[in-house]
Amino acid sequence: MSALIEVKDLSRSYQHKNYWFNKKTTTVLAPISFSIEAYQTLAIIGETGSGKSTLAKLLVGAEPASGGGIYLNGQALESASYKQRCQHIRMIFQDSGTTLNPSLTILQLLDEPLRLNTQFDENKRKELIRTTLQKVGLLGDHMNFYPHMFSGGQKQRISLARAIILEPKVIILDEALASLDPSLRSQMINLLLDLQNQMGLAYILISHNLGIIRHFSDNIMVLSQGEVVESGKTRDVISKPQHKVTQKLLVNQNFQLKAKIK
Amino acid sequence: MNLLDIRNLSIELISDDQSILAVDKVSLSMKEGEVRGLVGESGSGKSLLAQALVGVLDDKWRVHADRFHWRGIDLLSLSIEERKALLSRDIAMIFQEPMACLDPTTMIGEQLIEAIDDGQLTGYFWQRKQQRQSAAIKLLHKVGIKDHTICLKSYPHQLTEALCQRVMIAMALARRPILLVADEPTAAMESINEGQIYRLLASLNQLKSMSILLISHDLDNITHWTNTITVMYSGQFVEAGTTNQIFNKPMHPYTRALVDSSPSANLHLPAKSRLKTLPGSIPILQHLPIGCRLGPRCPRAQQDCVKAPSVTNFHGHKVSCHFPLKPLSNPAKKTKKTVC
Amino acid sequence: MARDKIYLEEVFPSPFMQWWLIFRKTPVAMIGFSCFLFLIVLAIFGPILAPHSPVEGQLDMLLLPPAWHIDGNVSYLLGTDELGRDMLSRLMYGTSLTFGLSFIVVIISMAIGVVIGSLSALTTGIKSSFLNHFLDVILSIPSLLLAIVIVAILGPGIANTVWAVVLVLIPQFIHTTRYAVKEESRKGYVLASRLDGASPFRVLYYSIFPNITDRIMGQATLAQSAAILDIATLGFLGLGAQIPLPEWGATLANGLDLFYIAPWTVYLPGLAILFAVVATNLVGEGIRHSLKLRKDR
Repeated sequence: MSALIEVKDLSRSYQHKNYWFNKKTTTVLAPISFSIEAYQTLAIIGETGSGKSTLAKLLVGAEPASGGGIYLNGQALESASYKQRCQHIRMIFQDSGTTLNPSLTILQLLDEPLRLNTQFDENKRKELIRTTLQKVGLLGDHMNFYPHMFSGGQKQRISLARAIILEPKVIILDEALASLDPSLRSQMINLLLDLQNQMGLAYILISHNLGIIRHFSDNIMVLSQGEVVESGKTRDVISKPQHKVTQKLLVNQNFQLKAKIK
Repeated sequence: MNLLDIRNLSIELISDDQSILAVDKVSLSMKEGEVRGLVGESGSGKSLLAQALVGVLDDKWRVHADRFHWRGIDLLSLSIEERKALLSRDIAMIFQEPMACLDPTTMIGEQLIEAIDDGQLTGYFWQRKQQRQSAAIKLLHKVGIKDHTICLKSYPHQLTEALCQRVMIAMALARRPILLVADEPTAAMESINEGQIYRLLASLNQLKSMSILLISHDLDNITHWTNTITVMYSGQFVEAGTTNQIFNKPMHPYTRALVDSSPSANLHLPAKSRLKTLPGSIPILQHLPIGCRLGPRCPRAQQDCVKAPSVTNFHGHKVSCHFPLKPLSNPAKKTKKTVC
Repeated sequence: MARDKIYLEEVFPSPFMQWWLIFRKTPVAMIGFSCFLFLIVLAIFGPILAPHSPVEGQLDMLLLPPAWHIDGNVSYLLGTDELGRDMLSRLMYGTSLTFGLSFIVVIISMAIGVVIGSLSALTTGIKSSFLNHFLDVILSIPSLLLAIVIVAILGPGIANTVWAVVLVLIPQFIHTTRYAVKEESRKGYVLASRLDGASPFRVLYYSIFPNITDRIMGQATLAQSAAILDIATLGFLGLGAQIPLPEWGATLANGLDLFYIAPWTVYLPGLAILFAVVATNLVGEGIRHSLKLRKDR
């Protein structure tokens, strides 16, 4: 299978504006290259400040890249155009509570991406919203509710509905599972896996829960200070970590895993 | 003798129209030097229970219990002031967001010194300042901060979340508590720091024989660090027993589901297969089901479940369910509301 | 997942309705709000309801005390002034001048301030700073003094007063709006909406404004009480509404010479000003209080 998305030498650095002479540059993300195929999940782990959130923002287009490019089926994505990008790459954030506008109903929330990116008429849009809500395990009638009427797990489902409604190819999950309770988290994992099978989605999962990563992802990429220090098949990396940073990240959780197997 | 013995503690939220039973007859007992985990998802009332224990709930909440013993002293018979004095001397608490609990405009050193009780110091008043300083440094060493001069002179925002939590623990230790209540001390922390904090707590438990009540929403996060675990759901008692019993032989369908739903506890499952989990979502406080609150989500629910189940004791493994999973051969004594 | 009829027995209001429900349960705020509505009705329909002309006096009814006084006359309920003009009618006409004008003043300055403030929040760098601060010069002079200066240049009159007060109130709205928009822009849903491909103005209109209306309304009530006082003060000083307009401040100044003989010509307009300001402040306080309660939930 050919790569669905290919990232080539994507990088991000800031220039400090305060120093007029002697301009200082901070590199957040060194040039990074990887590719994802459909039906696959790429996990990204790393410590705080390792650049994993920056990478997510670059991919989704929330921040401009300093260099490199993203290629979807061999075609380059422009860095400035949200309209082009949001039809292919969508993102679910960590805190669903703040990413849903509190003064709009679910219908209005889900209508926005459709209205901006498709030519569907109103009935078609409404119908699509209804089926999408059912797809993520909610009811079509929920569309008239306001976000504050939902619990945390349901809000995360709405975020998911909003992400898949444009039928993208890639969904980025930025710690999207971290704030959920365990039983709801596994519901969500099941839902995500089902959607992957149905729609052929590729996921980029940013998480620090190794249990989920081990279960959920096919490939893994370890970031440290903006550089990829290790990458490969999840199973190989977790069972035989090569780099020091990976070992350090794994040691705490492996420790617990082993204790439980006994 | 039990360090702490609470039986049938209920916490009610008093509002204008009706009062809501947020915590419904939960029993909790702890032995000296024990690390007990208190596990429950959001809305299970675990934090409320801890706050009631430390006595920091405000007027909106009404607490009552059948029994509330602390080291053999019946706290219910004491006056409010005596109870507060006793509890604040012996119990300390640390919270979820250490950064928010520290005063952002005061240096760590000052805050730490403030936490040190004057009664512990010996010496004349001109020696006091020096003694407090050295006591603060000792406390920092106890929680594994070696670079005390820098730490004492910094403000909370200059430290990382994990360091702040260490400082919070140091401040809790200043009063030499017998019980430390840790309310999700590692929420919003990276896994590396998480392990460090847990290891610190474990070593304090070992070296100072300080009992710890470890509160968490995630069962598999804390199983490695606890001796015994109490599970709660939606304000009701679910199951209590040793960590091994809870994790390997859960008897309540809810505990079973918690264990099953954790991917790291089910390494035998092939990757990317579906996880077993309970359907539905956690009921909100205004829409609690009657009887067993797990009822609508429980795979084993039957007609009896509209009545709240009583606690059954299988050799110290207590479970509150009408239809527990695979009961061990002949329960030793099946008494209603067994004494802990 | 959730069952079909789980919420049917309960009505879930929109955030605005939620706010209104809390507001309605606060008695003090509701009293203030009904007084406010009463004043608005009076400002619109006062001229129709007034029993007498506010400017034409009855020469045989000079300085008649209010009706409850022993010398009072029921057809002149609140008495007359030194030219025999009915006080009640003057106050009712005055409502549309003092209160009604202040309301219009607030709406004009709010419209201008919100537009400039949100433009300033959307732009960056020098443009943003300029938009934010170019009217700040006004803040360096006390508002009343500034109004006096403007009136001194343009000449006294009610229209010039209105422009002066509008100008004085704009910077507050700019700052409030800019701060509120900036604060909302940091929230996740704004980013989410931007990633949907929404243009900045669409984001502003659909995502941000619904969430900051309440804050701007709170600022508007503060501005309104300031506007009432400013208009009345300028009238009192003889720089605003000119004789014979029945503006409250001017009426009050007019009665000042006769205070010992006819105190009602002074205390009645004074009470009217007090009533309007207190009602406005109660509404503002109620808005802020219920916003805080809604956040706590």
